[in-house]
Amino acid sequence: MMKKIATIIIVSLTFLVAIVLGVAHGKTPTASANQRTTIVFWHSMGGKPAAALKQLVAQYNASQDKYTVVPEYQGAYTESLPKYLNVANSSAAPALVQAQEIATSTMLSTQSTIPMSQLLSNQTTDQIEDNIARYYTVNQQLQAMPFNTSTPVLYYNKGLVEQLGLTPLPEDPSYSDVLQLAKAMTAKTGGKTKGMTIEAYGWLFEELTANQNQLLANHDNGRAPGEYATKINIDTPAAKRLMQLMTQAIQDKSFVNYGSGDIAEANQQTAFLAGKLGLFMQSSASTGDLQANAKFKLGVTYLPHADGIPRNGLALGGAALWANKHQPANVKQGVADFLKFMASAESQAQWRLATGYLAVNKNAKNLPQITSAVAKDPNLGVATQQLATSQKNPVTAGPLVPIMPIARTNMETVMQAIANGAPIDQSLKVAQDTTNQALAAYNAANHLKK
Amino acid sequence: MAQNTSAIQPHQLTSQRGRQVITAHLTALGFLMPSLIFLGVFVFYPLVKTVYYSFFLTNALGQPVKFIGLANYATLLHDPVFLKSLWVTLIFVAAVTSLTTICALYLANLARKHLRGTVIFRTLFASTMGVSVSVASVLWLFFFQPTTGVSDMILNFFHLPPIHWLTGNVWALVAVILTVVWMNLGFAFLAISGALENVPTHLYETAEIEGVTPWLKFRFITLPHISPTLFFVATVTMINAFQTFGQVDLLTKGGPNNHTNLIVYQIYRDAFVNLNVGKASTESMLLAILIALVTFAQFKLTEKRVMYQ
Repeated sequence: MMKKIATIIIVSLTFLVAIVLGVAHGKTPTASANQRTTIVFWHSMGGKPAAALKQLVAQYNASQDKYTVVPEYQGAYTESLPKYLNVANSSAAPALVQAQEIATSTMLSTQSTIPMSQLLSNQTTDQIEDNIARYYTVNQQLQAMPFNTSTPVLYYNKGLVEQLGLTPLPEDPSYSDVLQLAKAMTAKTGGKTKGMTIEAYGWLFEELTANQNQLLANHDNGRAPGEYATKINIDTPAAKRLMQLMTQAIQDKSFVNYGSGDIAEANQQTAFLAGKLGLFMQSSASTGDLQANAKFKLGVTYLPHADGIPRNGLALGGAALWANKHQPANVKQGVADFLKFMASAESQAQWRLATGYLAVNKNAKNLPQITSAVAKDPNLGVATQQLATSQKNPVTAGPLVPIMPIARTNMETVMQAIANGAPIDQSLKVAQDTTNQALAAYNAANHLKK
Repeated sequence: MAQNTSAIQPHQLTSQRGRQVITAHLTALGFLMPSLIFLGVFVFYPLVKTVYYSFFLTNALGQPVKFIGLANYATLLHDPVFLKSLWVTLIFVAAVTSLTTICALYLANLARKHLRGTVIFRTLFASTMGVSVSVASVLWLFFFQPTTGVSDMILNFFHLPPIHWLTGNVWALVAVILTVVWMNLGFAFLAISGALENVPTHLYETAEIEGVTPWLKFRFITLPHISPTLFFVATVTMINAFQTFGQVDLLTKGGPNNHTNLIVYQIYRDAFVNLNVGKASTESMLLAILIALVTFAQFKLTEKRVMYQ
């Protein structure tokens, strides 16, 4: 009997030890053989951008012999952010992490990062395009290194427009320009090509209202010194004009609803490339892809502005690189060195041409590889131009709001509800109220001391 | 030795028995240890932690910062989005459970006869078992896609208006239900087919001689014999349906207008996208209570009709 018990205990203990050892083994730091310092870099890039990112990292690793940057894919932004939050202030934190623009406020609340203004020399940070740096500048400091950056643009089937004898869109179209073209395309093709869509995507809602100079949050979009956002504006005249654009297109029978999410994005792109959709709005990062796959002449313009409202311009979208502060000095030096390389005009030009994202370095646009590419295909310059000609105000600096994912979900709900025939005023009000409840709950939990 | 045994006093006997009981318990504990450790670490600890979090306000890092008692529960029960999610989940589960069981029963009955070629159909009907959630969702997407999808092409051919599978308030839920039922069908079909094979053939032969109609044979011979399997299939399908996540994430993201926002998807959004652990924990607790209630009701209501042999 005792023997049996002893056996069982031994087996159980072995089991436990094995688990503990297994866990411990996972944590053993990987010492590099050639005395290089390892820099762990969490990113969320897939597909083409992932290949371009790995290429840049490989070039950096080959360019010097002190550091090895190890890129680790941690899933999409929404998957990698909670992972980082769990380890932000522990020894398991990565030296460098890529976080989405709307996670800026959350990243700051972890208090686990070093601002770029402290980590890098002014010489490096001053090269960042002003309209891009402003998004990540909080308390007068550049908090993160802007990396993949884009703005939404309007894409349309210019070949079909010319073929049908219609007038192509101007560089900065108005809502009625868009509506008329969509209606004409639908009518002239007998419905074979549907005129337009606006994806139910919070980012588009934000940008299309920002273009009418509408603040998303109070206290200068949550950026006023010493303040934080306490009210979100979704039920606004600007949003109403946007919703009316949608309902008018639906009434004209020139609107297709693709819903929301990556699937909607993929579906509208497929339909557009198949010539079944006349125009849509999407990230400028798709320009290269669309250009390569379109069997027709592609048209690219700024995001449309409401009639009678001057164009204000847009805030950026995309992601930035954040440096973790709980790292040994040599790792921090390595991170600084790597970021200097990544932000350089040459790297940014290469990144831009490979992916379609904007170059964050001011000097990149003057490099011959960029100027010749834009001369060859003017469409590539539209997004850069759109951001450069945006007004400099708190609206285009972008919202510094912690609960952006909730706000976006609520905006998407409104857009879907309206595409399904719900009344505009009531839907906007509900979205605004639920978002403000979530913000109040967040502020109650996160600003206890104030 | 034998002499000694006869001389044992009563108190010695009890102490010896007591020792035996203790060793027996220790042995049992030893055998239970591995599963206790696993259940403890991966089930009971998270469960306790979830209950704990549901009583707190949590910050962006997921740390509990302020005890608020049952306030999370009170807020949720007044939250229109959550109530809608609850309602949608109930419709979804009822539809998936009944459709899966009925369709699988129908198909199993069809493929029951030993004719040439039934093996092919059996393989086909059971094949969805081997399909992963993501593959199934993508396959169905080809069908559902607006403007370029198979459904649109077919309807267009007959000059019918397109169906807004993923973007219409009602159709989106239908689309998700279809995808889930299709996926569950393989397993349910296999389980019911197995049960059908086990119905004693002499009963059918007797009925045949008596001239009983096919429907009555099905009703009074087949159904009672396969009722335990049907009950099992329905329960498993129901619990799986409550936990459906992948199809919603891949097809609709809970949209349009929250019409496919199942509770599990809402929990995921609140925990990992909206970073509100307190709210997500509360929703998880309510879901657990709901599943327990529905399973209990199912046992109470239907188990009486199940005939175990």
